[in-house]
Amino acid sequence: MSTALETHDLTVTYDKKPVLYGIDLEIPQGQLVGIIGPNGAGKSTFIKSVMGVLPVTGGWVKVFGEPLAKNITRVGYVPQRGSVDWDFPVTVMDVALQGTYGKLGMFRRVGKKERKIASEALDKVGMLDYAKRQIGNLSGGQQQRVFLARAIAQDCDLYFMDEPFVGVDAATESAIITLLQEMRAKGKTVVVVHHDLQTAPEYFDMLMLLNMRLVAFGPTSEVFTKEILQKTYGGKLTILSEIATEAAKNDLTKTHSKTP
Amino acid sequence: MMFDLIALTLIQKALLAATLLGVMCGVLGTFVVVRRISLVGDAVSHSILPGIVLGFVVSSALGMNRNPWVIFTFATLVGLLSMLTVRQILATTRLKNDAALGIVLSGFFGIGLFLKRSLRPYMESAGGLNDFLFGNLATIAEADLKAIFIVAILIVITVSLLLRPFILISFDVLFAKTLGYPVKLLNLVFYSLLTVTIVVSVQAVGVVLVSAMLIIPASSAFLLTDRKYHMMWIAMGFGAFSGLGGCLIANSFDDVNVPNGATMTLTAAGIFLISYFYAPNHGILAKWSKQRKLERVVRNENALKQLYKSLGDDAALEKSVTLSEFASMNRFSEKEALSRLQSLVKHEYLTVSGKLYKLTSSGLTRAMQLVRNHRLWELYLTNQADYPSDHVHDDAELIEHVLDEATVKQIEAELGFPSEDPHGQPIPKPQPSREHA
Amino acid sequence: MSFIEYVLTRPFAGSDNGLWYLLMAFSVALPCSLLGCFLLLRRMALIGDAISHSVLPGIVFAFLLVKDLSSPWLLIGAALSGLFVTVLIELIHTKTRVKQDAAIGISFTTLFALGVLMVSVFVGKQTDLDIDCVISGEMTHIIYYDSVSLFGKEVPEPLLISYGVTALTLIFLLIFFRVLTLSSFDAGLMASFGVNPKVVHYLLMAVLSLVVVTSFQAVGAILVIALLIIPAASAYLCTHRLKVMLLLAAAHAALSSIAAMYIYVSFNCSISSAMVVAGLGLFCLAWLFGPVDGLIWKWKRRYLLAETYDLADRDG
Repeated sequence: MSTALETHDLTVTYDKKPVLYGIDLEIPQGQLVGIIGPNGAGKSTFIKSVMGVLPVTGGWVKVFGEPLAKNITRVGYVPQRGSVDWDFPVTVMDVALQGTYGKLGMFRRVGKKERKIASEALDKVGMLDYAKRQIGNLSGGQQQRVFLARAIAQDCDLYFMDEPFVGVDAATESAIITLLQEMRAKGKTVVVVHHDLQTAPEYFDMLMLLNMRLVAFGPTSEVFTKEILQKTYGGKLTILSEIATEAAKNDLTKTHSKTP
Repeated sequence: MMFDLIALTLIQKALLAATLLGVMCGVLGTFVVVRRISLVGDAVSHSILPGIVLGFVVSSALGMNRNPWVIFTFATLVGLLSMLTVRQILATTRLKNDAALGIVLSGFFGIGLFLKRSLRPYMESAGGLNDFLFGNLATIAEADLKAIFIVAILIVITVSLLLRPFILISFDVLFAKTLGYPVKLLNLVFYSLLTVTIVVSVQAVGVVLVSAMLIIPASSAFLLTDRKYHMMWIAMGFGAFSGLGGCLIANSFDDVNVPNGATMTLTAAGIFLISYFYAPNHGILAKWSKQRKLERVVRNENALKQLYKSLGDDAALEKSVTLSEFASMNRFSEKEALSRLQSLVKHEYLTVSGKLYKLTSSGLTRAMQLVRNHRLWELYLTNQADYPSDHVHDDAELIEHVLDEATVKQIEAELGFPSEDPHGQPIPKPQPSREHA
Repeated sequence: MSFIEYVLTRPFAGSDNGLWYLLMAFSVALPCSLLGCFLLLRRMALIGDAISHSVLPGIVFAFLLVKDLSSPWLLIGAALSGLFVTVLIELIHTKTRVKQDAAIGISFTTLFALGVLMVSVFVGKQTDLDIDCVISGEMTHIIYYDSVSLFGKEVPEPLLISYGVTALTLIFLLIFFRVLTLSSFDAGLMASFGVNPKVVHYLLMAVLSLVVVTSFQAVGAILVIALLIIPAASAYLCTHRLKVMLLLAAAHAALSSIAAMYIYVSFNCSISSAMVVAGLGLFCLAWLFGPVDGLIWKWKRRYLLAETYDLADRDG
């Protein structure tokens, strides 16, 4: 089984505060992976930095064995629903079409083929009837479905999804999980930021437990244990975060790279 | 001779007004900067223009030529109206904060310019109206000065009476609410004071640049201190200095009429530039030199650690090393090795006699501390933070230099006072140096 | 003279140049209104304000060198200082703890003050570049410039330049429409496609500086923000479609230019302030009657709702 995502010593600081610290990870292909951890553990930061949306302070990321830039069209990203302005004057169809821009490039015209891809994607999530609606007039669950349709239209091999289950109704939640399973059946890898511990073991093949550092990563049956969960959610490592903050403030990483 | 005297008193008047305004803007500006409403201040200051024009017209209708109280009243009313409009736009439409401010700022200002030209026939004299755009203290009248003086004193008194609640609602609104403060009323008072401050300052600085006097001195103060009262005092000082300096600079041009607003803003900007670079903790240079210093420390301490390790952990004090030995141990060039050694001698970590370098006891202590810090941190990362043990060395190489004794004690306690690191190496227990005692 | 004839000829009654003024007003308002839509959607209205204030020192500096208000060097000077202010804002708020709003305020007031000082000290009264022009521009002065013969008409040069810039803006928007839309809606997705949203940002700022400086002579450095934001905001209140919003903003630009001519001849004010007053009037109409956000519809809905509850109460 080959690797979909590999990170080595991934460190991300944001506003001079460390959010992720030395993450080593190898995610095999064809898995549904959940990222869990307490609030502020750096779950979203992890996928944003892997996607190149946030700059990485240290370490590296490889996607399908190569730097991200080489395989960028094979990787899809579904941001948090709250991260965009839902008053923005675009329609459901427009958003689904955005998924095709990655392969189409920024300047080539949207043609019949792209419209077909977008319509099919919308159909798959049951939103085709709403294609002409403005996105602000949708419910939370519907908005999330539109985002998923956009991801489907991207047609990637590796997906990162940021909290797709937040604020959606039960029907949408089960529709999403069916969709994710379908994707896995096609050999795609899906990495999902999740924060419901109840459903985590049921939804995901593998879990990544994150709290500033990687506490554990492995098959759900192995890592979803009381002990590891306690480690992840239990008391924050105050010294680690203090010292890492101090180091980030002093740009200590830069200092180091200059010394032999 | 007599003309000279009049000129002198005029300048004195102008200076007095400029200083007062600077103080007033400094006080209110402190709140504006910490509450992050700088651009609200800017919007209000542009928006009062129609009020000023109406003030001129009404003064004329009442048979007076530019009565400051009438102008202040209308400008304040229009300023409050502009803020109300921003609130209404935000409450009833999907437009966001920046758009609402932009619409009100430019729309009101446009109306002001429209009225300024179209209502000219209804003004006794439109002279002086242009001074409100960019500020001019050279023409300030006795009545204006008196009005500014009275209002400035009222503002300072009100703010000093309400200082504590104002600070509370600026820093922690929720806490203020739980304490039962009438937050809405306090905000109303605050915004009214802000509007009045802007209105009164406008004659000196002009509608376009009055926000500079609110924002820039307070921002400079923000770079210089972490304490809110200090910040307010410093902002007041900078405000007064900018007002005074700007006024003097504008007056120093003999033949051209230089707007006071521009010179005051530039004076304030000059102070900000100095704070930006030289502020003790938050200035660019301070941060830069701190960084350089740390780099030097890391370089020296790494050399010290190498020396200590190569001398053998035991009895390191008795042995000594030559320059070429040290260079070959570290694969340094002789030149580089020499500069490292000399810098360690300077820090009294080494003594040199002839060609032989020896550790001093403080050098030994520091070296042992570094090794201890390194191994403790490795242990902490593996045991407490679940990092694999082959993954912690690089990090410890950095962290060993910044761990202080208090943190070390904390780590030791958390780890149960260990004696070995994850690689099985002993963790040394250095005694604090007594050499200097 | 019939009423209709009176209405049609009114703006052009005073002088022979009314048509030139109208065309100039529209050519300034149109690119502003279109760019303004993207500024509004990117929540950058106040950055637009900062840039429009900050181009002043660049314009004055270039003017002092070449002594010609229609020289392309002014464009370069303005674009440079427009870019400089965005850099300055970044330098202040990323390198120190001063927050972004204060950083914006510090940067643009300082640059603007510098410009005002340069105008008052170095630029003589006899030129067009005086304090009044900085504030509200002098659209009527376009006829004092050289003119170019076009289709048998003598067309003032500034008008042609302005239409040139308008055409450039339109081409830019056509080519980059999708890029601008996506980076405004979801910069994260854009970045994940490997397109750096910062590049788009600076490109937009460069075009904005260009438009601001060409409109400088006609509307000054301050009122241009009204031409940027008010049409976009009015259009935003009326529609949920981006393309419709752009069309409506353009219509707003046209209508307010026309209405401004009537205000100008009736009240003897500057054309630029007349454009703002007209634009603000249209904004108020959109605020009241806009199909999406109109207050009237909201009140009506609330009234109907209250009536339904009343009926329900009576029935129960």
